[in-house]
Amino acid sequence: MSTNDSKPRGSFCGNTRREFFWEAGGSFAGLALSGLLDGNFFANQTHAADGVTGYQNPLAAKLPMFAPKAKSVIFLFMYGGPSHVDTFDYKPALYPLDGKIIKVKTKGRGGERSESRAVGPKWKFKQYGECGKWVSDLFPHIGQHVDDIAFIHSMTADSPIHGSAMLQMNSGKIQSGAPCLGSWVNYGLGSVNENLPGFMVMLDKKGGPISGAKNWASGYMPATYQATLLRSQGDPILNLAPPDDMPLAAQRALLNSLQQSNSEHFLSRGDNSELAARIASYELAWRMQEHAPEAVDLSQETVETKKLYGLDQDRTSHFGRQCLLARRMVERGVRFVQVYSGGAHNDDNWDAHGDLEKNHAFHAGNTDRPIAGLLADLKRSGLLDETLVIWGGEFGRQPTAEYAKGTGRDHNSFGFTMWMAGGGVKGGISVGETDELGAAAIAPGPGHGNGEKAGYHVKSLHATVLHLLGLDPNRLSYFFGGLDQKLVGVEHVQPIKELLG
Amino acid sequence: MAQHISPTAAFGAALAVFFSLSCSLQVIAADFSRDIQPLLAKRCFACHGPDTQEAGLRFDTAASATAELDSGYQAIVPGDVDASEILSRVTSSDLDLQMPPEGARLTADEVSALRGWIDDGAQWKEHWAFRSLVRPNVQEHSVGSSAGEINPIDVFIQAGLAEHSLPVPPKADRRALLRRATYNVTGLPPSEQEVQDFVADTSPHAWEQVVDRLLASPHYGEQWARHWLDLVRYADTNSYERDGNKPHSWRYRDYVIRSFNDDKPFDDFVIEQLAGDEIPEPTAESLIATGYYRLGIWDDEPADKLQHRYDQLDDVVATTAKTFLAMTVDCARCHDHKIDPILQRDYYSLLAFFQNITPMGDRQMNPDFIEQPLPKGEMTPAEAKDIARDRNRRLQEARGEVKAIKQRIKEHGEQARDELTKKDLKAWHEKVRQLEQEKAQMAAALVVTEYGTTAPDTFVLYRGNPHAETSPELLVEPAFPSVLKAATPTIEPPENGRSTGRRLALAKWIVSAENPLTARVLANRIWQYHFGRGIVRSPSNFGFAGDPPTHPELLDWMATELLRQGWQLKGLQKTILMSAAYQAASTPNQEAYAQDSRNESFWRFDMRRLSAEELRDSVHIVSGAFNPKMFGPGTFPSIPKEVLATQSKPGQGWGNSSPEEQARRSVYVHVKRSLITPILADFDLADTDTTCPVRFVTTQPTQALGMMNSEFMQQQSKVFAQRIAGEAGGPDMADTKSCVRRAIEVALVREPTDDEVQHGLALINELETTEGISPGRSLELYCLFLLNLNEFAYLD
Repeated sequence: MSTNDSKPRGSFCGNTRREFFWEAGGSFAGLALSGLLDGNFFANQTHAADGVTGYQNPLAAKLPMFAPKAKSVIFLFMYGGPSHVDTFDYKPALYPLDGKIIKVKTKGRGGERSESRAVGPKWKFKQYGECGKWVSDLFPHIGQHVDDIAFIHSMTADSPIHGSAMLQMNSGKIQSGAPCLGSWVNYGLGSVNENLPGFMVMLDKKGGPISGAKNWASGYMPATYQATLLRSQGDPILNLAPPDDMPLAAQRALLNSLQQSNSEHFLSRGDNSELAARIASYELAWRMQEHAPEAVDLSQETVETKKLYGLDQDRTSHFGRQCLLARRMVERGVRFVQVYSGGAHNDDNWDAHGDLEKNHAFHAGNTDRPIAGLLADLKRSGLLDETLVIWGGEFGRQPTAEYAKGTGRDHNSFGFTMWMAGGGVKGGISVGETDELGAAAIAPGPGHGNGEKAGYHVKSLHATVLHLLGLDPNRLSYFFGGLDQKLVGVEHVQPIKELLG
Repeated sequence: MAQHISPTAAFGAALAVFFSLSCSLQVIAADFSRDIQPLLAKRCFACHGPDTQEAGLRFDTAASATAELDSGYQAIVPGDVDASEILSRVTSSDLDLQMPPEGARLTADEVSALRGWIDDGAQWKEHWAFRSLVRPNVQEHSVGSSAGEINPIDVFIQAGLAEHSLPVPPKADRRALLRRATYNVTGLPPSEQEVQDFVADTSPHAWEQVVDRLLASPHYGEQWARHWLDLVRYADTNSYERDGNKPHSWRYRDYVIRSFNDDKPFDDFVIEQLAGDEIPEPTAESLIATGYYRLGIWDDEPADKLQHRYDQLDDVVATTAKTFLAMTVDCARCHDHKIDPILQRDYYSLLAFFQNITPMGDRQMNPDFIEQPLPKGEMTPAEAKDIARDRNRRLQEARGEVKAIKQRIKEHGEQARDELTKKDLKAWHEKVRQLEQEKAQMAAALVVTEYGTTAPDTFVLYRGNPHAETSPELLVEPAFPSVLKAATPTIEPPENGRSTGRRLALAKWIVSAENPLTARVLANRIWQYHFGRGIVRSPSNFGFAGDPPTHPELLDWMATELLRQGWQLKGLQKTILMSAAYQAASTPNQEAYAQDSRNESFWRFDMRRLSAEELRDSVHIVSGAFNPKMFGPGTFPSIPKEVLATQSKPGQGWGNSSPEEQARRSVYVHVKRSLITPILADFDLADTDTTCPVRFVTTQPTQALGMMNSEFMQQQSKVFAQRIAGEAGGPDMADTKSCVRRAIEVALVREPTDDEVQHGLALINELETTEGISPGRSLELYCLFLLNLNEFAYLD
């Protein structure tokens, strides 16, 4: 774990240079100032110990609470809700029931039901790896990596409706307005690369998910912690490139002038750290302009690597490029990268209400090779040890049909599957299970952060992620609205212990 | 070109001056309200407070904190530091004994305050915020000059400065002061003429005339409404999957602007928003005001309807209690408040006032619940509503007919499409069109309604779970928070029979003389929006864990002053603006800084950055594109397609406004919760999902990228340059020097210095000769440079 940035470089009555600088202005200015103020400038300065609480740069790298297993996270978000019984949760008993009316309690978009027509899994499963994990024919490439993967088959969420379920998977709450997992991670750990944002999101080419920016917002935390959208084509970050009629050299001349004027303005206002921060922010922006294009420049990758991610084929090239970018981002110290598979509405994502076979074959086919490529690439470079990869959607799907005809399944938040790999997670294991139809989680029993109910709630997943990053989910808090708010809520939530290596 | 100090050297020199100070520590006797209670609340109450009492110990009352515990220890023994277990625990190095068990240790200052306070007898005082409001005697606080000649505000501020041996700050220079006040009061920069006039005006009433002019400006309402809109989580959409539009929400925004401009008494303002439908004679305005209840997030497809119902009520409870009372009542939704004396019962008793409110709708917004046609002429609101209801019914009927005919055609194929059916379909289509048109032309408001005169029962819900079992002993009636010892509310349903009258009872109590909070909270907010921070820095939390007031007597004086002025704001605002404290320079003072770096004492006026709206509006003013048109439906600034692409349906719910419409003030920008205009989002617009009492001020490289590279800034700098070329003598005649001079005058509203002009010419020259930029473009880039200056974005 690299925490060099948080070590004091100069001391002022016990304060680090940065702490000192942030408290100097007594306001919440949000970035590191190293650019302009590096070197020995502060070495001879002293500072009054006035007993004022320090305001730290919110994005300066911070020490985790304990030794972390993972440094960064890549969350592959299968938006729309992939069917667990057709992917990783093998239900032999469901095949023979295909087409029969069965008694089973379900709750989805179409409301609650107690009996419906069963839809048998539409793909065959076979065993992979030393662990012998059953994986459906949708994912022959991911199947090769099951020995690195920990499957959680008893996931539960509070909502079977996209809007609120997406919010919960991303922010822990079904209510809009809370900060996202990526925001919490950056709040807790800061960023080790000042030239790139610490929380990045990449969208499907079909568009954003429903509720758009709410899925990567920082809610009641400052905007410092919200995600930056990263695009694999065109300008990678909004406003990153100056327009054609402002060439870089001209912009540099402008920046030099700006720095000079701002410094003169600062001369008679020297105790205002916000002004200094704003001066520095222009230099950081300049560096971001320089570094971000390099970070997204895939021409540096070998033909073999590109092929590994499926960049050589039309159907996998988009998601493959996103996965390869995700690796390049975590390599450069970005804490939290989220990649969406699926966008917009209906069959443009995993939301298979009508023709499940067509829908899932399409989305799995687009993502299987890229995801396998990502796992292989991270593993061979050793990055997998410190990068936590998460796969899953906002919920799963029901074992039964939604309509009178067809294979489509409605949403299911009573039980679904997610998986994790790398970042200190045990490989080749599966925890939790759903009933023999995959309708609801039945194990493990009570006491796993979900009150009295069976299964691992989204909160348990979040607790596990924070724990792997060296943050105690029950202590990482942010004071807002008169309360110490936590990602996992008020009640204590334990990480999923069986997953921890 | 003039000589310039290198940036880093200038920077260094400035810092060197201010930080070459020795360590010093001022010791001030511990004050219970300021030093002890917040400490106990923040660090001890979680385990030893109102809700949880580990080891039988609680620190929220004197009796319990000093009682002998089962263990035989006494946490606090007044006057006996050595016998007080608390001190050995907070200083212990034994991990098993030390308190608090988690988080940072208490600082040396905190321990010393605690020790001092126990030594002095460990006196408990009633919490400052809950004490009844008494007007402090200004005379008693005056230092030096006699109180009659000095602004009462300065009496309190200067007493505080004297107590800390800090000097009274010098006055800000006139230009800085005018710029500060003009932005502060109107959200816009002063004009060049206004600066010239004020700088030249030597009369003793010059400043007062400026203050009167600013407070009378229609832009005052736009600026101060914006603060209120932050508090009431104003937005034009519902969030969640569809993030659909709230009909007529903009009328609420306009209502707030008009209310501020009219200096509407705050008690009326509160009553209208909370119960504008329950007052004896509701008006269009008072009905619009009740849109207050409908501004929050709403899930049209909740996973658990009952849960969502209570989440919606919680939004109203939380927003109301925080905004008007600065009480975090919502923390007591699942259990008694962990820190403040607010019981879970108090939460549900407050919720009971809102229990009978209709929801926004079910899947679809229900016009019967949320839409109130605005009465015309002699019509009463009820009649207008009946007319609209009847029209809605006919519309629904007509739509049903259209649907039925279409279905018939679908089922029976082409043979069903005979002449008669076609004619029928056409007629019904026409009917639908007509009714829709009528509906669209009807002026209506987004309002609150209730189910009738009787409300369903309200129960305390175990752990806040709406599905929890209820029982008679958990039943609560509407009641005010018990800590305020208020009388039982008198509730009478209004004559129209449409509601319970509960909200009117609540509203009246909120602004009643027996409630000490509302006036304090309002006074604090007014001060906050003038000075950048409240007397209480946590303006929506006056509880034990909130920040204690730095100037409690000043706060109470202002609160009583508001009451004395019949709850009107402008009188107090004028007193504030006339004070020396407001007119103080923002310049540094190294000794004062050393002693009080957070400026607790107001030894200067704090600099601040322009808000997101002020920044965007200023760019429009400077470029000349600004459109001062007030009121009406929201405008839609162009949003780059990359940003629209983040929506699941790119562009959905976002309109196209003409360039002129886009150049209106930012307060008129349509607030779509999931799609915030980038420049506003970059500069820390309030998050609208919950009430926002203080905006963040973040500084990030993405802001710099937007300020330099965004379409908006690039385009506005072009408009600005065209303006300059015109004003400096026309594009052909204008020489570069006069363009540079004029651009500085316009952007910074002051005379340029020769150095600056030389600097600008040097930049333009460099761009043209070294970088090959065309002369016209170089001026545009120079304009962009000016808009990026710290001087442009910050106020002294």
